[in-house]
Amino acid sequence: MQISDEAILKAVDRFAAIRGKGTLANLLAFGRVLKEAGVKVGLSQVIDAGRSLEFVDIARRDDFRSVLRSNLVSDKEEMPLFDRVFDRFWQEHGFEEPPMESVEMSPPSAEQKSGDSVDAGGSLEEVVAQGASQEARLNEEAERFPVPTYSPDEALQKKDFSEMGVEESRAISRAILLIANKIATQVSRRKKRATKGEEIDPRWTMRKNIKYGGEIIQLFSRKKRIKKTRVVLLCDVSGSMDCYSRFLIQFMYGLQNELWGVETFVFSTSLSRITHLIRTKDIGNALERISHSVLGWSGGTNIGRSLYAFNREFAPSLVTHRTVVVIISDGWDRGDVGLLEREMKSLKRRCHKIIWLNPLLASENYEPLCKGMQAALPYINLFLSVHNLNSLIALGRTLQKMVA
Amino acid sequence: MNPKKLTIEKIQEALREQRYICDRSLATVIYLSITMGKPVLLEGEAGVGKTEIAKVLAEVMETKLIRLQCYEGLDASTALYEWNYPKQMLRIKLEEVRGGDREVVETEIFTEEYLVKRPLLEAIQSEGPKPPVLLIDEIDRADMEFEAFLLEVLSDFQITIPEIGTIRAKLRPYVFLTSNRTREIHDALKRRCLYHWIDYPTFEKEYEIVMTKFPEVRGRLAKQICSFMQRVRQMNFYKRPGVAETLDWASALIALNRQEMDEKTLEDTMGCIFKYKEDLHHLREELAGKRLVLDQMLKEMPELSA
Repeated sequence: MQISDEAILKAVDRFAAIRGKGTLANLLAFGRVLKEAGVKVGLSQVIDAGRSLEFVDIARRDDFRSVLRSNLVSDKEEMPLFDRVFDRFWQEHGFEEPPMESVEMSPPSAEQKSGDSVDAGGSLEEVVAQGASQEARLNEEAERFPVPTYSPDEALQKKDFSEMGVEESRAISRAILLIANKIATQVSRRKKRATKGEEIDPRWTMRKNIKYGGEIIQLFSRKKRIKKTRVVLLCDVSGSMDCYSRFLIQFMYGLQNELWGVETFVFSTSLSRITHLIRTKDIGNALERISHSVLGWSGGTNIGRSLYAFNREFAPSLVTHRTVVVIISDGWDRGDVGLLEREMKSLKRRCHKIIWLNPLLASENYEPLCKGMQAALPYINLFLSVHNLNSLIALGRTLQKMVA
Repeated sequence: MNPKKLTIEKIQEALREQRYICDRSLATVIYLSITMGKPVLLEGEAGVGKTEIAKVLAEVMETKLIRLQCYEGLDASTALYEWNYPKQMLRIKLEEVRGGDREVVETEIFTEEYLVKRPLLEAIQSEGPKPPVLLIDEIDRADMEFEAFLLEVLSDFQITIPEIGTIRAKLRPYVFLTSNRTREIHDALKRRCLYHWIDYPTFEKEYEIVMTKFPEVRGRLAKQICSFMQRVRQMNFYKRPGVAETLDWASALIALNRQEMDEKTLEDTMGCIFKYKEDLHHLREELAGKRLVLDQMLKEMPELSA
C-alpha cells in the first residue's frame, strides 16, 4: 500500500498530542504513527526498543535509527516506510533528551497514575497507561471528526453491497469454507500418531509398553499428516469483471478469513497486494480501504503484465512448491499474449497447482477462445466455473472428488 | 572477547579481523542482541553472508557454534531432544534378569542419562564458561509448526520435557536465525527477534570483501570483478548472484592465474556466477547482442572513494 507523505505528516501531527518530553513517550507516539502507516508494531517491541536505547549513544542518528529499526520492523518491505516515518517524526522533534531515567522500571504508585500529563520521569507502566488512555481519547476524536476522503469507486461499491443480504452472505461463506479446505489440503511429511498408520512410532511404542515391563506387546504406529497449504489468490477486477465484483469481494474476503496464510492480490492493468486490507473481520470497511489503494479498478486488463509483476516481486517470497495459486479472471486480455504465456509457465514451475476460476465458463455456449485464455490453458491444473452461490457449491463438490 | 566490554566499534573491528566486513547497522544489531539477550533474525538474498556472520561471531567470542539446519519435516525429536530407545530397552532387559524394581526402572529410564540431546537442547544446556552461538539456519525451510517449538526456546530460553520438567538455560546462547524468505515467518516469532536485512553490498564494500578474503588478488582484477557483479545484479536474471558467487569467482580467477578480465575468461568461468541454464544463456545473449559490453563497462568502472 502506498502511503503519501501527507498521510504520514498527518499521522505525525495527530499523535503530537501524546508526545511528551521523555524519549519513551515519544517512542510510544512513534510506534503509533508507524502502526497508522501500516507497519505491524506491538507494544512489547516498543518497550524493547526503549530498553535498547540504554545501550547505545543516541546522539548518533544512524545508531538511533538502526536500533529502532531492528526492534520495530520485521519485514524488509516495511523498511522504506519506516525510514520515511522516521525522518518525518524525529526531524522536527530532535532526540536530544536523555532517555535513561524514563525507561527505568519502578512500580507505579496510585497518585502517579492519576496524573494526566505525560511526565518524562514517570515509570514505564505509567507512561504506557497514559499513552493508552490518550490513545483512546484520540480515537474518539477521530471518530467524531472523520477525515473527509475522496473515493472514486464509492458509487460502485454501495450499489453492490446494498444488495447483499445477510443470509446470502452467510451461505457464500459456508460454501467458501468448504472450497477453501479442499484447495488447501495436502499430505505432509510430518507424522502423527494413528491407530492405522504406515509405520511404527518407537517413542510411543516404548512409552505405552512400559506397563508390560518393557516387553513390546502392543505396537503403536504413525502416519503422514494432512497439511494445510498456502493459497495465493489473484483476482481480476477489470471492467469486464464488473458484474461479478460483489461476488469477488465476498470470495476474496471469505477465503482469506477462513484459511490461514492466504495472500490476496487484485489486478487489472497493474497488480496490488491487498492482503493486509482484508485481514479484518469488518467487511464494509475493508472494501473502503481496498478502493482507496487499488489503482485501475474497473479498468482495462493486462494479465501478462500483472503476472510478470507478481512473479518478480512477490512470487519469490510467497510461492513455494506447496502453494496453490487461484486466479479468478474471465481471461479477456488486452496485453501481450506471449508475455502472459511466459509468465504462466514460470508461475507453474514455481507453485504446486494453478486453479483458474472463470465466471464465463458457466454460460453453456462459452468456449475459452479468447487469446489470453488460450495461452494460459496449458498451464492450468484446474479450470472451473464460478459465478454465483450454486456454482460455488458445485465447485466444492468437484474439488472434493479431485482431491480425494 | 568479553561480552561486558563490547562496543559497536569493537564488534565491527573484531569481525573485520576475522575477515568479515560488516556495516555499522549490522554491528549495532549484533551488539544489541548480545547485550539484551535477544535473538537476531537475518534476512537477505542467497549468498550475502547470513550464515557466515554466526560462524564468525563464534570465532570472535571464542565459543562454540551450535548449528541447526532446518528442513521440511524437521520436528521436535530432531531439533530438541529424543529418548534413547535402544538404551532404555537394554536397561529394561537388564533389570528383568536382575529382577529389579519396576517402579525404579520406570522413573530411571526417563532421566537425562537416557536423553539424546539435539541442537536446541544442547544450546540451552551448554555449561560454558561462555554462552554458545546458536545458529538456526534457513528457518523458512522448516514448517510453520516448527516455529512454535522455537517460541519457548527463544523467548524464555527453556525447554519443557514432559517426563523430566523444564530445563532452563544457565547461559543465554547468542541466537541467530536466518531466512531466505521463501515464505513469511510468523509474527509471533518475528516479534521476539531483532530484525536485520542484509542487502547486496555496495561496490566499495564488495571490493573490500574481495581484498580481505584474497589479499593476493590484484586490485585491478578485484575492481573488475566487483563492478561486473554490481552491473549484473541490476540486470534481469532469474537468480542474482550474491557475495558467495563473487568470492567463488575470484578464487577461480586466482586459480586460473588471470590478471585481467576479458570476454574469453568470462565465458570460461561464468559457471561460478550463474547456476541456471537460462541465466547462462541470457548472459551469453547479452554479450553477443552487445547490450553488455565488457570493455566499455570496465572503462566506466567506478573509482574507489577511499
